[in-house]
Amino acid sequence: MGPPRTIRHGWIQIIKNLNDYAFLIRQLVRIDILDEYKRSFIGIAWLFLVPIFSVVSWILFDNSGVLNPGDTEVPYPAFVLLSTSIWVFFIDIYYGVSKIFVGRSRMIVMTKFPREVLVAEKIIVHLIRFLIPLIINIVILLFFGVNFKWSALLFPFTLLPLLLLGISIGLIISFFRVVATDLAKIVDHGLGFLMILTPIVYTPQIEAGILSEIIQYNPMTYLVGFSREILLNGGFFEPWLWLGCSCLIFCFFLFTVRFFLIAEVKIVERLISN
Amino acid sequence: MKKRKPLLSVRDLNKTFSNSDIKYSMLHGIQDLFYDLLGIKNTHTKLRDKEFWTLKNINFDLFEGDILGIVGSNGSGKTTLMRTVANIYQASSGAIYGKKNLKVIAIFTLSTGFRELFTGRENIYIKGAMFGMSKSEIDAKLAFIESFSELGKHLDKPLGNYSSGMKARLAYSIAIATEPDVFIIDEALAVGDSVFKAKCFDHLKQYVKKPNKAVLFVSNQIRKILRISNRLMVMQEGQIIHESSDIREGLHFYIKNCLSHLSEEERKHKLNRILDAGI
Repeated sequence: MGPPRTIRHGWIQIIKNLNDYAFLIRQLVRIDILDEYKRSFIGIAWLFLVPIFSVVSWILFDNSGVLNPGDTEVPYPAFVLLSTSIWVFFIDIYYGVSKIFVGRSRMIVMTKFPREVLVAEKIIVHLIRFLIPLIINIVILLFFGVNFKWSALLFPFTLLPLLLLGISIGLIISFFRVVATDLAKIVDHGLGFLMILTPIVYTPQIEAGILSEIIQYNPMTYLVGFSREILLNGGFFEPWLWLGCSCLIFCFFLFTVRFFLIAEVKIVERLISN
Repeated sequence: MKKRKPLLSVRDLNKTFSNSDIKYSMLHGIQDLFYDLLGIKNTHTKLRDKEFWTLKNINFDLFEGDILGIVGSNGSGKTTLMRTVANIYQASSGAIYGKKNLKVIAIFTLSTGFRELFTGRENIYIKGAMFGMSKSEIDAKLAFIESFSELGKHLDKPLGNYSSGMKARLAYSIAIATEPDVFIIDEALAVGDSVFKAKCFDHLKQYVKKPNKAVLFVSNQIRKILRISNRLMVMQEGQIIHESSDIREGLHFYIKNCLSHLSEEERKHKLNRILDAGI
């Protein structure tokens, strides 16, 4: 008779689990992407159409003259399109990860498999969903006359801190969505509010009283601004502040993964499913 | 007589649940998360407010070759015990011993994990992956699943068009294709046509003759238990109240216990009707 069956934790175990369940991850990614479009005649063409609708709406807004974003070095629709893409990159991974338990509760209470598989699936689906609009956005940025520099190739890597931050907050909130829905809703709305306090639809140089003060202390200003600047102008926006924020996010990520591995076994029984 | 090897041993297993007041369940969940956040080891020995023992002092061995039937009224803790054995739930205290890499596969509801918009064949890969199989493993078992499920050309139709019996055929065929060491069937064969169910029972009896294989069979359908099990466990309010290798005797105990709320006369009358039906 062997020792008591226990649940093992740790990074090596995570890597082993992800490798052992690689085929499940592939299947879940496939389901996640295809399920949504199975009933649609134009199918995954929607992945291309949505960003195009978004561009058209920002162009219309800009032409109407109701927006006063501050001075931008590139045409405003190009600026705001890229900024919102970066913000959506962060917020979508947060929503995806934060719903892993409630979204697949039935599967979780019926089948034993490593739960990190669900996180890996969300990250892959997120990257696929981001890649297609990104390619369209780059074409549109070229159309608006943006000259990319070689440093723009670093753009995908500059998104890593935002990805880790979205995953980390998502992992914590995934538990709250099960046992403390009020807290989860507060964070959802709080992040919506944070977007207003981050230079997304306006520039960091905007003159707007208290808002100008707040955006100086908002780490998202640097996380979003750094990625945007490197793609649009090839420059580095507040590199030291960006690096400091990135290091803190990395530590936060390590902590949340550890917490996730310890706490996930206890959350399963709180999922109401029969 | 040759001594049989236990595949799985459950010792002093306890599990608490919050009662039907969902807010208390959430509160206890927050409390547990808070302990985890602070790294405090939190094994319950006492009940918190509005908690109850869903499993209390559970001890049993599952030997190779066993088809251990588990019966009990609704809410007696059968499914919680199966989910704990399957490692889906964590025990509040106690331990489950088993050999290293013991493969435990559980089917609770047959349709779980199936996608209605995908074909039966695509669902074989989806469900097989959920059971931890790789693509090559599923490829190797595809012929067996096709043949055992007897679904033929239906496999290339969307699963949404399947009857519950067809889904049961497919789900059972995939689960058994994983060749688990311990196969948990929790009310999962309640649906489906009787010919296929008979085929499953015959297959299970042959299956446990292989080395290191056993089945935990949860059902309240006494005829099924009688037909398939070689041992029986009766559960009530989270405890094992009776164990027997004589299935008829065990089922008599279970039925009498179920009818204990009736008057002597009513109990005799009902018991006779059940006995007449073949127990």
